[in-house]
Amino acid sequence: MRQEFDVPLINRIALYAAMALAVAYSFFPIYWMLISSVRDPQVLYNSVDLLPGPYSIESYTTLLAATDFTIWFANSVQVALGTVVVTLILAVLISYAVTRLQIRGKTTIIGTMLYAYMFPPLLLAIPLYAIFVRLGLADTHMALIISHTTITLPLGVWLLWGFFKQLPPDVEEAAMVDGCSRLGAFFRVVLPLSLPGITTVAIFSFLLSWTDYTFALVMIDSDHKKTLPAGLETMVGQYELRDGELMAGSALIALPLLILFIFLNRYFIHGLAAGAVKR
Amino acid sequence: MGGDRTILALFLFGLAITAVMIIYPASHAIELSFQKAESFISEPEWVGLDNYVRVLSDMEFWDALRRGMVFSGWAIALQILLGIGFAVLLDANLPAQRVVRAITILPYLLPTLIVTLLVRWMLNDPIGIITIAFQNLGFGTVDWYGSPNLAMGMVILVSVWIWTPFVTISFLAGLQSVPESLYEAAKVDGASSWQRFWHITLPQLRPVLTVVILLRTIWMFNKFDIVWLLTRGGPLKATEHLPILAYRKAFESFDVGMGAAISTISFLILSVAVFIYFRLFPLDQKD
Repeated sequence: MRQEFDVPLINRIALYAAMALAVAYSFFPIYWMLISSVRDPQVLYNSVDLLPGPYSIESYTTLLAATDFTIWFANSVQVALGTVVVTLILAVLISYAVTRLQIRGKTTIIGTMLYAYMFPPLLLAIPLYAIFVRLGLADTHMALIISHTTITLPLGVWLLWGFFKQLPPDVEEAAMVDGCSRLGAFFRVVLPLSLPGITTVAIFSFLLSWTDYTFALVMIDSDHKKTLPAGLETMVGQYELRDGELMAGSALIALPLLILFIFLNRYFIHGLAAGAVKR
Repeated sequence: MGGDRTILALFLFGLAITAVMIIYPASHAIELSFQKAESFISEPEWVGLDNYVRVLSDMEFWDALRRGMVFSGWAIALQILLGIGFAVLLDANLPAQRVVRAITILPYLLPTLIVTLLVRWMLNDPIGIITIAFQNLGFGTVDWYGSPNLAMGMVILVSVWIWTPFVTISFLAGLQSVPESLYEAAKVDGASSWQRFWHITLPQLRPVLTVVILLRTIWMFNKFDIVWLLTRGGPLKATEHLPILAYRKAFESFDVGMGAAISTISFLILSVAVFIYFRLFPLDQKD
């Protein structure tokens, strides 16, 4: 309700107070994670203070020295990028064809994909693991990429389908009249125009893969093949890592997401809303 | 058109891969639920409905189902209420609103593992900041992980913190598509701001609300990681819901058939619920 502010001052103050509360509620835990990670570990267990010093990067250096954090980081990057690429290729193909071609049972296809939205991740994880064991793919990053794609693909097809539907077919037809093949028209006209949708799908696939714990827990056994969340979790009891180091690890996992978010936040918001508003 | 054939071929290729990646595993899960296998490598043996009989005659299953409904029911209700409140607040025309919006989305981005580590740290006894805050407020030391009810409450509240932004953003987009003229007309008629919310905003948000409740229900009912990471289903199984029960059966007791049967039943329950929901609240009245 974007009414103009002819409202009394007292309401306005209440509004600001409510907003401050909402910001504190959403941001304080993140602030606390960052602060705890840069606090001197010696004092971390002695006192609680909202602006606590002295600061030190000791938690970070201990974390990197005592664990395979850099290996997990590389694993996570590899799996997340793999998931993004596979998801994009398949989602673009399927959703574009469903929008443009006269195929019977189009809605059935989209319906089936949406049905996949409802699978409990474990309903997929159990048989996938059984299949990967047979194929000799268990405990590989390929297994994890395929697992993540089973979740990101339905989402991607749904989002891109909404996007391609909105592009008027005349645009491609004009290009085709000008001598482009359909494939040419697709690459030169359709893809550039749907870049926002594609970016949104890429971001969401990355987010899902980067943050996933469940599939990584099921699919990966070897410590050096683990991705960040699963890897850091094995440290919780085992090495007696202190909370300062765990907060440092958490901050390092969250950082790429926060940076992506700062630069691409309108795609995040669009994608979130499209999951619900576009139908 | 020749190009159409290329697209069609590529499409069929994509569809085939999808079938292999999604439909085959799902049907394999159903197949596994009719089999008995001691582990993931042993040769499975066909046992018909045996796993289903075992699951349905096991009180563990019914308890887990009930807990799952308590968990997802509360989590969804609170997410929706808080999400609507946040959306209305963030829709107001104030300076720095974009930054505030961005900040309220942040919890949604954090990996679940990070949030659970953060919760552990903030609830740490004796030095966690929430522990100390509660002591200073006179509540004494609260044993979040030790008491069945508190553990359930904690899992619900943490879920609300992480996943409310999805509701907020969906509603915010919905609010911004409500025509301004409706509000102006109501103002002319002398409607209070509460009346405007109740009679204009909420009915206009109905389609968004329908989808958001649907998606949140599906996702919360299936949620595994948040509960597993916070409590492992404890204490005394107080937070053990169907996904955790299925995981325990398949990956701890290596009773793969039973784990698959539990997942399949849970999927069937959800399908029936969604079917009824669609009957009650059809999605595309216009579209």
